[in-house]
Amino acid sequence: MKKMRVRIADWGIAMITALAFIFILVFTGSASAMLTARANHDHITIDFFYHGSTVSVRGESDPNVDLVIKITAPEEHQVLKQKGKVGGLLWMNVGQLKFEHTPNFYAVYSTRKLDEMLDREEMEKYVIGYPALEKHVSVTPAANEEEKTKWFNEFVKFKEASNVYVSSFGKISTVARADGRQEYSILTDWPYQAAPGDYLVTVYAVNNGKVVEQAEAKVNVEQAGLVKTLSTMAKNSAALYGILSIGIALGAGFGVGLVFRKGGGSH
Amino acid sequence: MYLYLPVALTSINILVPVGLGLAVGLLSGLFGVGGGFLMTPLLIMFGIPSTVAAATDSNQIVAASTSGTYAHWKVGNVDFKMGLYLLAGGFLGGIVGVQAIKLLHAMGNADFVIKMTYVLMLGIVGVYMFIESLQSMKKKKASVDEKAGKEKESAVGRFLKSLPLQTRFEKSGITHSVFVPIVLGAFVGVLAAIMGVGGGFLMVPIMVYMLRMPMHVVVGTSLFQILFTCIEVTFLQAYTNHSVDFILAVLLLLGSTIGAQVGAVFGRKLKADQLKILLAGIVLAVTVKIIFELTLTPSLLISQAGGH
Repeated sequence: MKKMRVRIADWGIAMITALAFIFILVFTGSASAMLTARANHDHITIDFFYHGSTVSVRGESDPNVDLVIKITAPEEHQVLKQKGKVGGLLWMNVGQLKFEHTPNFYAVYSTRKLDEMLDREEMEKYVIGYPALEKHVSVTPAANEEEKTKWFNEFVKFKEASNVYVSSFGKISTVARADGRQEYSILTDWPYQAAPGDYLVTVYAVNNGKVVEQAEAKVNVEQAGLVKTLSTMAKNSAALYGILSIGIALGAGFGVGLVFRKGGGSH
Repeated sequence: MYLYLPVALTSINILVPVGLGLAVGLLSGLFGVGGGFLMTPLLIMFGIPSTVAAATDSNQIVAASTSGTYAHWKVGNVDFKMGLYLLAGGFLGGIVGVQAIKLLHAMGNADFVIKMTYVLMLGIVGVYMFIESLQSMKKKKASVDEKAGKEKESAVGRFLKSLPLQTRFEKSGITHSVFVPIVLGAFVGVLAAIMGVGGGFLMVPIMVYMLRMPMHVVVGTSLFQILFTCIEVTFLQAYTNHSVDFILAVLLLLGSTIGAQVGAVFGRKLKADQLKILLAGIVLAVTVKIIFELTLTPSLLISQAGGH
């Protein structure tokens, strides 16, 4: 009887230990994702009066980590015109450059300068920062690394000119909480040049030069209303769209002509 | 106020296209040019992708030239017969020009040939018109057009007279073989297709100096001809390249249709030589601008490729 009781107690202890173990496993499983990320304004609609928007990314992290927030569009391949000198004097388009594995949108915000907080290998592994992106993309034709760097830099300049590439530091604000955690947030301008589509927000927590955690959120940009109707029509009913455009132009031309006659503008 | 452009995928302050439309429409009504050589680069400067800029401009020209043709027709300054012959030639020339472009692209130096043709054509036309109108202004002859016509009654004149199918163009008060406007129209059509422009700045001097039409009829007839060319181009651009932005076109034509009416009224107050020298000045200014663009180091060494 005593033995039996001991056994039950042993079982009990074993059960509790096992449960506790499972509990710890489950708990740490979710607790290891201490880093959270959430984007508000994650659904941006492009209507007739759209002139860009703002996107804020916020969440919690361990204290004493550096943060990188990266927003990217899916990678694609882009063909661009390349300008060069002809006859050593005249600048004109001399050919095309193919950029493979390049996102059409690439924004990186970090708490400090990327070089100071992240090892080079880590930057390359997670494609964080322009130098890492350069390693990641392929540029053709480019005879050597030097040429690739030159054209990649031009590519970044071109994208930055239309506000779809950004790399900056110091804009993420962090607040230490009473429970020892840290809250971070950033408010970014969302450029109107960014095309409709899905965008991925990745937040990296960095410690001692290494990425220790990451979390993701999504931003979706979609056309709505008349903008959507017209852009769909331009693609899917091209002939009708063309005729409509011409019809409106003819009508407007005649209309204004008639108005001017009535207004006594002629003779 | 900003509006979003559904095909250009960008947002623009509505004052920009309306203002540009007004300015270019004014030139259109004054000189009988479409103004694509001014409008397209300006639109690109304001962030519109180059393919959308060119296609949408042709849509806008449909409106401006309708408005302008209507204004000129009311005062009897459109030679429809001449316009139709030029149009027939231009249509044939366009087909040849498109093939020529394909050949140039296959040979690999298309951009060089296109740019050089453009600069040379603009330069020659600008300089010639400028000098000619300056000289005739100095002479201060009242009926410059007719006098100049008689002066040049040379070998070329006799050759033109000897061609078959001579026909009278009442409105312009001239007689030509039907082949003359068709061949000249085709010539402009080939060049316009190669350069990717409407060709108004070539058509106007050709009508003035080679067909010897009176300047005011030239403007109206040129607009009539441009109207049909741009209808065709707009349709093809919308159908094959999906690059016509309807909203941008509407904003542009708000300005340009009114500009064209004002231009037509204002043009009637100017003398033929004054019109010619003004047009020459604009053409020369554009030439100089393109030469600068070709020689100064551009700020961006890559740009959007046309037509995907």
